[in-house]
Amino acid sequence: MLRKEQNDYLCQTDPGTPMGTMFRAYWMPALLSEELLEPDCPPVRLKLLGERLIAFRDSEGKLGLIDEFCAHRGVSLWFARNEECGLRCPYHGWKYDVTGQCVEVPSEPAESGYAKKVKLKNYPLIDKGGVLWTYMGPPEKTPPEPMYEFCTVPLNQTFMTKRLQESNWLQAMEGGIDSSHVSFLHRGDLSTDPLFKGAGGNKYNMQDLSPVFEVVENEGGLLIGARRNAEDDQYYWRITPWVMPCYTGVPPRGDHPIHGHFWVPIDDENCWAWSYDYHPTRPLSENEVSAMKDGKGIHVKYVPGTYRPLANKDNDYLMDRAGQKAGKTFSGIEGIGMQDASLQESMGPICDRTKENLVGTDNGIIMARHRLLRAARALTEKGITPPGVDPEHHKVRQAALLLKRDVQYKDGAKEALKVKPGVRQTSV
Amino acid sequence: MLSESARMTTAHEASFRVQYPNSRPRAARIIALDPESAALVNEVSKRKWNGAKFFTSLSFTAESGPGTTDQGMKAWLGDLAGRAMDLASEVAESDFVVVITAAGEDARAASVIAAACKAHNKSLIGLVVPKDGASEEDVGTSLDHLRPHTRMLVVASGRDYIETMLTALRA
Ligand code: FES
Ligand SMILES: [Fe+2]
Repeated sequence: MLRKEQNDYLCQTDPGTPMGTMFRAYWMPALLSEELLEPDCPPVRLKLLGERLIAFRDSEGKLGLIDEFCAHRGVSLWFARNEECGLRCPYHGWKYDVTGQCVEVPSEPAESGYAKKVKLKNYPLIDKGGVLWTYMGPPEKTPPEPMYEFCTVPLNQTFMTKRLQESNWLQAMEGGIDSSHVSFLHRGDLSTDPLFKGAGGNKYNMQDLSPVFEVVENEGGLLIGARRNAEDDQYYWRITPWVMPCYTGVPPRGDHPIHGHFWVPIDDENCWAWSYDYHPTRPLSENEVSAMKDGKGIHVKYVPGTYRPLANKDNDYLMDRAGQKAGKTFSGIEGIGMQDASLQESMGPICDRTKENLVGTDNGIIMARHRLLRAARALTEKGITPPGVDPEHHKVRQAALLLKRDVQYKDGAKEALKVKPGVRQTSV
Repeated sequence: MLSESARMTTAHEASFRVQYPNSRPRAARIIALDPESAALVNEVSKRKWNGAKFFTSLSFTAESGPGTTDQGMKAWLGDLAGRAMDLASEVAESDFVVVITAAGEDARAASVIAAACKAHNKSLIGLVVPKDGASEEDVGTSLDHLRPHTRMLVVASGRDYIETMLTALRA
């Protein structure tokens, strides 16, 4: 349970809000690299943290992310012509470069220097690991580039998608921390999904439906360990890292690629669910990539030409009551991603946490909220840099492993939880 | 026509949520396992709670020593005012039990509480809070004491987490 004012504090990320200020301390995924592939390609409209922006790649290949609206009379630059190193507003021809600087006001004499006085707000945009990242905070505080392992391996070892989720970011992210829902909501998919099935560890998930949890704070966020009984005197551990503010990793299965998410606020009622898959030591196979493109694993199928899932609220998520009854899926919704999204959107655009009844096994969620509140307060009141900004905090791996029962997972899994270039993930 | 899900997931529709309570207060029993955590729990117990009760197992640890699990069940559990309490009946009438220890302190009393929880089918949450000067090993010692018994074990980096967790659980 949260009080209303705490809930608002965590959910609101517009400029000037405490959480909005905190999100603006990090590099965030903004677009897929595929959205701005070539010089002078069509500009892309996006909204992040409650700000409407336009992104483009200029004639020289430089990336720009600027205020969406022309400074003259407010036209959306989505209609602009991307030409000769700038976006030209089609209304009266004002032109902007990648920094948002106005470089031409055709109605004024060039010598007047009028254009120099017009500048749209801009944010940096960098291309890394198939993702275009932005940082929307004070320029003098720009942190070093993100170092999540998926964005540091060669591009043929990594695959990223994003999908629109029509709910506040926090209820989406809490699903990534809440390991106790997996044995229910996703129980059918372990044995059927091509990106999950066949892993040695799956049987422990099926055999032991009441895992025991351990939540440990670390520098960048949390480690949430779920422990199930295994043969002999061993436990099967699945360890989920959360890096502040909105990165969650899913513990791996066998040699399948590792996956996880970012949950990035668009505005208070929408967010982007980013889903990565990568393998630390080998290229993804053709089969794996085509399964991902086909919406398997944590990815989804799309409404053609968009990043909106094909199963969405407008078609009741293609609810299959017969399949639900027959046990084909637990909730009647197809696919892990939409199983989560459908339920999280059903909570309403902003979940009312004054009415929830949490239990002991929800401590991962309780702790994550606690840390977010604490960090946002420390940042806005004392200027303290929040956890997760330091790229060292990104270098954590999810892990799935068998450990002797008397071994601490912090010790037994210590090496498994570290990113080690060229070393395979620890997984059963 | 709009689908049912599209119509029902607007902010406007969210405002029609039934306003009656959807749960009754749950009886939480919070037990400090060592002097350090007892002082914290004592502070927290002064706030307003929905029926949570706070105890310390200190009398047990001091008098009969850890490890004696069958005798003295009644004698050892003192509440914070120092009265003797009956562990078994406290656990029996609870909905869940939280044990709290400061990193590295003697938390072996957890096993007795766990036995009572097991007998009455109550879930046990373990919380390790930091202590000045405590090392990684100290945290490990605490985890060793609690791990065999708890369904959820939390290692917190701040002492304020006790209050946060209990509030979140509507204790
Ligand atoms: S059972 Fe968890 S939200 Fe309903
Ligand atoms: Fe899920």
